[in-house]
Amino acid sequence: MEKKTILIVDDVEINRAVLAEIFKDDYDILEAAGGEEALAIINGGEDISAVLLDLLMPGTDGLGVLKDMNATGRIQKIPVFLITASENRDLLLEAYHLGAVDIINKPFYGHFIRHRIKNIIDLYSYQNELESIVSAQVTRLEKMNRSVIATLAALIEFRDCESGEHVRRMSTLTWILMQEVSDRYPEYRLSSAEIDKIGMSAVLHDVGKISIPDQILNKPGKLTAEEFEIMKGHTVKGCEILRKIPDLVDEGTYVYSYDICRHHHERWDGKGYPDHLVGDETSIWAQVAAVADVYDALTSDRVYKKAYSHEDAVQMIFNGECGAFNPKVLEAFRQAEDRILALYQEKQDDEDEATSHIGKTE
Amino acid sequence: MGLLEEIKTLGVDVEEGTDRLMGNTALYERMLVKFADMLKETPVSPDFSEEECAEALQNIHALKGAAGNLSIRPLYEAYTEIVNLLRAGEIPRAKDEIRGILPVQEEIAACIRKYGREQF
Repeated sequence: MEKKTILIVDDVEINRAVLAEIFKDDYDILEAAGGEEALAIINGGEDISAVLLDLLMPGTDGLGVLKDMNATGRIQKIPVFLITASENRDLLLEAYHLGAVDIINKPFYGHFIRHRIKNIIDLYSYQNELESIVSAQVTRLEKMNRSVIATLAALIEFRDCESGEHVRRMSTLTWILMQEVSDRYPEYRLSSAEIDKIGMSAVLHDVGKISIPDQILNKPGKLTAEEFEIMKGHTVKGCEILRKIPDLVDEGTYVYSYDICRHHHERWDGKGYPDHLVGDETSIWAQVAAVADVYDALTSDRVYKKAYSHEDAVQMIFNGECGAFNPKVLEAFRQAEDRILALYQEKQDDEDEATSHIGKTE
Repeated sequence: MGLLEEIKTLGVDVEEGTDRLMGNTALYERMLVKFADMLKETPVSPDFSEEECAEALQNIHALKGAAGNLSIRPLYEAYTEIVNLLRAGEIPRAKDEIRGILPVQEEIAACIRKYGREQF
């Protein structure tokens, strides 16, 4: 089996030689006489299994090396042992805070240190191996998620020719708005991975429309009260569909999809449907999806209406003509307006290109 | 008498020192020579100013680590005490300790040099 590599960092040659002697039979040894030299090796792409690091050195000291390894994230992958004669409590504590896995005091015994370090190296190798297996599985799962969602989105598109583009834009718009809300308001903060999932989940917000009869879904005029009640049922029907596929997507995507599907027509004042939730009783992602859904519906041609301009749509949303929304989500919308306009400019460009193509064919 | 026998009479724990090096006596002897070189390159003196205190501390700290790993006990113990005194800001007492250890340090360095160059 190929030997793993240990990097020994100490400005005193004797200490490096002592450590090298202890480990030379089991590991390949790299040596650095200072912090700068050590970082050049660590950041130079060498596959290092452990760093044995002196704390007090001229130039970049042990803490400096640890700080750099934190900045680059390498501290998560490579165990660092502090080998030191220092008993300065504050320095040693800071080293632990910066991710040193163990502190070995000089003078040390070869046999003991060899076992201590071997145990940790084995543990890190195992952890790194597990991480790469998990990461491969997550990638596979995400791919499966996307394909299931794409299949459902395609179904929506077949049933309602307007919805295909709408669901894709609405998903991107939800993602943009969710980022803005998360950045601006700590109470709604989410990781970028979660925001990505929310954006993807928003694609399924109208999946319940599959179950709405054609004559209602594609009716050019205003819906009767009875028809509107049936149309409103797409939120609950969508959840029924999603309940049949929970094992096909990961739990997070399922929860977000389900919630957005059911609650993207709720309103801040409780006058939405189906559950008449008030304020933050509706999750922030469903509130964001609601604004995205309304904006896209307003700015798109539908069988029953022509598209409104961006300015008119914004005015209608902010005036409350489409129901009440969380003021923080509306503020986020204002802040993200340039990005939203750019997204819709792309849509306009695509439509222009399609029209010019038709013209040439004719 | 060889280096290891003679240096043992000066208080150096040769068994412990070689044990730290996984029993490699030849390496231990080579490291003793390195230590004597280090003493030459890193002079220890009580004549340092207030501004030079940090540098003195760094030098003696480095010697302490090396002396400890080679089990040169008299020096390791004295350097440990000096480092503690310097850290505590007790400069005059640290300087007294340095004055006290210099003859021992010279004796150990002379012993290593006597055998060192010809043998290793």
